[in-house]
Amino acid sequence: MLVNTYSRRIFNLAYQFSGTREEAEDMTQEIFLKLYHALVKYDFSRNFDAWLLTLARNHLIDEYRRTKWEKKSRDDFNEYTLSADAVSGPEETVLREESKKLVWEGFNSLSNEIRMAVILRDIQGKKYDEIAEIMELPLGTVKSRVNRGRLQLAKILREKKEEANDM
Amino acid sequence: MTCEQIEKLLSLYIEDELTPEDRRAVDEHLKICPDCTSLLSFLQETTESLSDFPELEVTEDLRAKLYAIPQTRRKFSLRFNFLLKPSLQPILAAATVLMTLISFYTFHPDKAAIDKTINRQFHQGYRTIGSLYSKAESFAVSLGEHKNSILDSIKSARLFGRGEE
Repeated sequence: MLVNTYSRRIFNLAYQFSGTREEAEDMTQEIFLKLYHALVKYDFSRNFDAWLLTLARNHLIDEYRRTKWEKKSRDDFNEYTLSADAVSGPEETVLREESKKLVWEGFNSLSNEIRMAVILRDIQGKKYDEIAEIMELPLGTVKSRVNRGRLQLAKILREKKEEANDM
Repeated sequence: MTCEQIEKLLSLYIEDELTPEDRRAVDEHLKICPDCTSLLSFLQETTESLSDFPELEVTEDLRAKLYAIPQTRRKFSLRFNFLLKPSLQPILAAATVLMTLISFYTFHPDKAAIDKTINRQFHQGYRTIGSLYSKAESFAVSLGEHKNSILDSIKSARLFGRGEE
């Protein structure tokens, strides 16, 4: 039941954070292993989703610190979209695809904590107070980290697009 | 407000979470600052791109591995769980100390000297015990000789009350 309900969510979080499918699969297994060990310590007064995401977030950030993923490249964005059977209908313009690709690649320049905050807010669509609970941080810090992450990505996007226009 | 101050408010601006006062300040600034206006437009493009990232499916192979985790754990726990019992911890700790001492003794480069010392200490201890035993024997004999006089003095002693009564 846990695998059915949460594997997709945890795998996607790990993939968005690490940027490579291989790392994400390894991390998902490690997170589930930790989950089974930690279940006996679960406090029933806490929201299970938030508790599990805290466990996942702690594992991902610890691994990031240990292995320095920022030095590794992320999977090619086309592979990411294709493997997810993303819709590339008429409204999906080339420009928009290009922006997504640049943002995806720009993730590697964000620090681990900021990257996690942006993923939870903008990709996973969590509310700020949920992110504060998951990341065990004050609400103001979460808002500030999300803003900083978005600004960094927006500046990367602007820089890359201006470079492309100048060529 | 400076551009730096405005930048800090842009996320909440696009999410419509600013106070009316802050929102007015950002609007006023954007009218006169093309740089912040351009940044706002890229910020919106960024959040739209992020919200558009697709969710990947978990492969069957990964799913199978995830299902297998509790079984692997259960096998381990059935076989070795007894080792984790708290009541066994002092025994395991003593065993660890013993193993350390044995390995120290076995692999010590000067093992012969240790053997010699142990032997000497053992014999010394044996001699001490022997002499203590013989002293105890002689004490018992002398006690037997004075047995009657000791008993008499105990009987005549007034342990309770005053001497003159």
